[in-house]
Amino acid sequence: MDTSLDEVRCRHTSGTISEIASHSREGSKDDEENQPQLPRNSTELSNDLNELSVEDSDDSAFAEPPKSPRLVPPDLDFGEDVTSEDWRTHKKHIFILSDAGKPIYSRYGNEDKLVTIMGVMQALVSFVQDSDNVLRCIVAGKQKYVFLVREHLILVTVARSHESYQQLAFQLTYVYNQIVSVLTYTQMARIFQQRRNYDLRRLLAGAEKLIDNLCNLMDHEPSFLLGAVRCLPLASPVRDVISQTIVQHAAKIKDLVFAILIANNQLISLVRMKKYLLHPADLHLIFNLVSASESFKAAESWAPICLPKFDSSGYLHAHVSYLDEKCHTCMLLLTVDRDMFFPLSECRQRILERLQRHNCLSYISESLARTNYTVSQVGIMDLRHFMYKSRSSAQYTSPELEAPYASKEEQERLYGLYLYLHHRIHSVSRPLRLLFHVGAYETLLGWVTSGFELYTVFGPLVTKPTAINSINRLLKWIKREEDRLFILNGPTF
Amino acid sequence: MSEEHKVSLANFFIFNSAYGPREGEEEKKILFYYPDNEDVDRKIKDVGLCEAVITFAGTFTDETCNSVHCQKTRQLFYQPEKDFWMIMTVRIPYSTKTKDNQRYVEYHEDDVQDSIFEAVLKQAYRMFKLFMGTFGYTVERGSIQNLSDKLRHFFSRYLQTLKLDQCDLLDICCGIQFLPLDKNTYLRIQCLINLLESHFPQVKYTAFLYNDQLVWSGLEQDDMRIMYRYLTTSLFPSVTPMEQEFQPGLTHYGRYTTGPSDLNDPSKPGKIPKVFVNTDTQNEACHLLVYRALSASLCLFVDASYQLQFDFFKEVDSFLGPQLSHVASDIRDQYSKRPQSSGEPQFKYIYFNHMNLAQKTTIHSDSNRKSANINVSPDTLRLISDMNSDLMKDGEDSETIVKACNDCWVVGKKSDEREFYVVINQKNANLTEINEEVKRLCTTSFANIFFLD
Repeated sequence: MDTSLDEVRCRHTSGTISEIASHSREGSKDDEENQPQLPRNSTELSNDLNELSVEDSDDSAFAEPPKSPRLVPPDLDFGEDVTSEDWRTHKKHIFILSDAGKPIYSRYGNEDKLVTIMGVMQALVSFVQDSDNVLRCIVAGKQKYVFLVREHLILVTVARSHESYQQLAFQLTYVYNQIVSVLTYTQMARIFQQRRNYDLRRLLAGAEKLIDNLCNLMDHEPSFLLGAVRCLPLASPVRDVISQTIVQHAAKIKDLVFAILIANNQLISLVRMKKYLLHPADLHLIFNLVSASESFKAAESWAPICLPKFDSSGYLHAHVSYLDEKCHTCMLLLTVDRDMFFPLSECRQRILERLQRHNCLSYISESLARTNYTVSQVGIMDLRHFMYKSRSSAQYTSPELEAPYASKEEQERLYGLYLYLHHRIHSVSRPLRLLFHVGAYETLLGWVTSGFELYTVFGPLVTKPTAINSINRLLKWIKREEDRLFILNGPTF
Repeated sequence: MSEEHKVSLANFFIFNSAYGPREGEEEKKILFYYPDNEDVDRKIKDVGLCEAVITFAGTFTDETCNSVHCQKTRQLFYQPEKDFWMIMTVRIPYSTKTKDNQRYVEYHEDDVQDSIFEAVLKQAYRMFKLFMGTFGYTVERGSIQNLSDKLRHFFSRYLQTLKLDQCDLLDICCGIQFLPLDKNTYLRIQCLINLLESHFPQVKYTAFLYNDQLVWSGLEQDDMRIMYRYLTTSLFPSVTPMEQEFQPGLTHYGRYTTGPSDLNDPSKPGKIPKVFVNTDTQNEACHLLVYRALSASLCLFVDASYQLQFDFFKEVDSFLGPQLSHVASDIRDQYSKRPQSSGEPQFKYIYFNHMNLAQKTTIHSDSNRKSANINVSPDTLRLISDMNSDLMKDGEDSETIVKACNDCWVVGKKSDEREFYVVINQKNANLTEINEEVKRLCTTSFANIFFLD
């Protein structure tokens, strides 16, 4: 049996969590008796699986308990009319169905009303599978229908946006990973092995808003496209204090793998166990979890989260809390140990106290209040916008969008230009080092080296020598500001 | 150990759903299917899947379905006439590697570009239309079975001539190489043609070629485009080029390429193809009479309603023979005076003008691609096709310069209706230097054409 290279690349990582847990278990047996009772808001999914009942999984940290398998809470409206022209012409639909054709999710409209069309999608996929082939994409003019088959799920996007087929498939992978993040890969495989007709919506109750939020973010957030995160600009001494504070207190807790401090979808600090890296794709899912969940703002929470790139077979457990009253700055402490809520709560308290003593929180608030730097502050004529990614640290920086990209249409069009640059430069079989394009409204220049990726947008009349000159000045400016815009060294413990 | 498998044709079929609407009648929808020896059920399933895809695609858009991408195949869709669908499925090229006793297969989906194969499919239809008229024409005048027979007759041969792994941007352009002549010679040729057409009113249209280059055509552009392709890739190569020695008894070098080879033997009128053009109206049937002297070919499109008499052949021969030989030898003399370029061209480029379909390439050693020689890597050629898709999508005048990972620079420009791609292999050049190089090329070879800077 031939193994396709695609399949090899997709194999999930697993076992990392058990590796960490067993490592620490060797020295911690006496602590277990002294563990106080867990607050009753953790999802006990693994116990429930055998009964496959809905009742026990009510207390998920991030949703109202569902009264029926429907994903739409009863007090909201019944979703869009899926027979209307408006529904048909949405820029990007996302559908999830089981490989038996059962509807699981639709970005627009109620998935229950889409049984027929999802049946057709499943039929197309399985028909092609019968010939030992895999359906990837249907193209009709500007419309693309992209299919992703993952284990027992079929994900489909129907898009008339600027993304290429590969970029759309990439977004579907993110949606799939979001589901893995809620359920873990191992559990999903087990569910479908036991009952092929299982209605996955029962376990995904409340996760639908995570998927909605993720889809909305992916429409215009460059972080997904670039595979990088943006850092909150902070003077490096301040950031150092923050990181050191976290390291000091987190190092005392065994089994704490990652400590993350974020605000407004930007990274303030990431501290990790020395041996383990946090993949940007996992970090994006964490950002999504935080930005999509209102319930974290109310009180300290304890949430299970699976990080697919880190270990798709099990959950990490996150202590999630906001450090400030206005609920801007969020701290997540991730551990392999399910029973660590109280020790982490104490740890969080001590970190907060020290940060307050050093005024760190007010520095963070200041930075948040200040809008992002504008391209005019960079001071290069004709440069309208840019995105700079540092490859080694997987971080990027980009200025505020201002005129002529003030309106939503113009911003979408601009993003479309970046999509084009990225698509051609990162082509699988014929990648480019440099792409210079003179269009009707802009001149674009994309440049990739081993150290960085730079995508720039100039006015249409700029000459080539001017563009090169501007790029060099921009790189110098970024170098000068890099202390503030990037996290240059990631502390570990 | 690794093996490479190139792109190849998996199947090719034509159907019309209206011909078999009821259950049990599915086979009636299929007008043509290659390979013919495929199982009937398989054929019906394939057509059914395409119908399902077309319907599914139609739920969200009114745009027509273009292609289906699968891991191992790419399927192209084309609806040349209402309800008639032509489907071509190609196998994606792949490589197999054996490592540690495990066999790995890698599919190179990126190497198959929709724009190119859509063009190949369209051309297949146009070629059929050239020899058989439109589908509707045959069905109206005859029957569905007639159409089926004609499709089988034509495509079973045509598909054998497809060289899918050599298809590239030129298949999208489907252009014509023109021969630039001085004004005097050009006017002489015009006069000759005018005289010919007034002398012989049955001749509706004429086209004049020298070797493989077009000098003049009275046909409408789309007709000439496909005719040119047929002449240069099929008809001319099939004729053995006999060096015409001046023989005593012959007053000129003229002879028929399609037509009687011996004008003293009326029993052998020769094979004269019938073609359908659309210059004046749709589906005008004509006899294609090709007459050649030295390297000049004159194509006469004779109204098919006129019965070709042997006397007609003789009259045309005595009229054209001397005059065409004269013109041909004049052109030959002019040509021999021009300096011939040999070896690697100074610049590697492809030029195409949408307005007059003029095409020129120094990347292909032979513009009509009887040989597969190209002087750039296949990936570079695909890069050019990528650029072409991007430039065409915008619709605006624009320019793109890229540096590929093999340090090869490719510049693409679109201005008015002209497209131009040049490949420069200068390892340590920068953007400004490349720009200067391209400017130089434009001033030397394309002096009269304004390209955006």
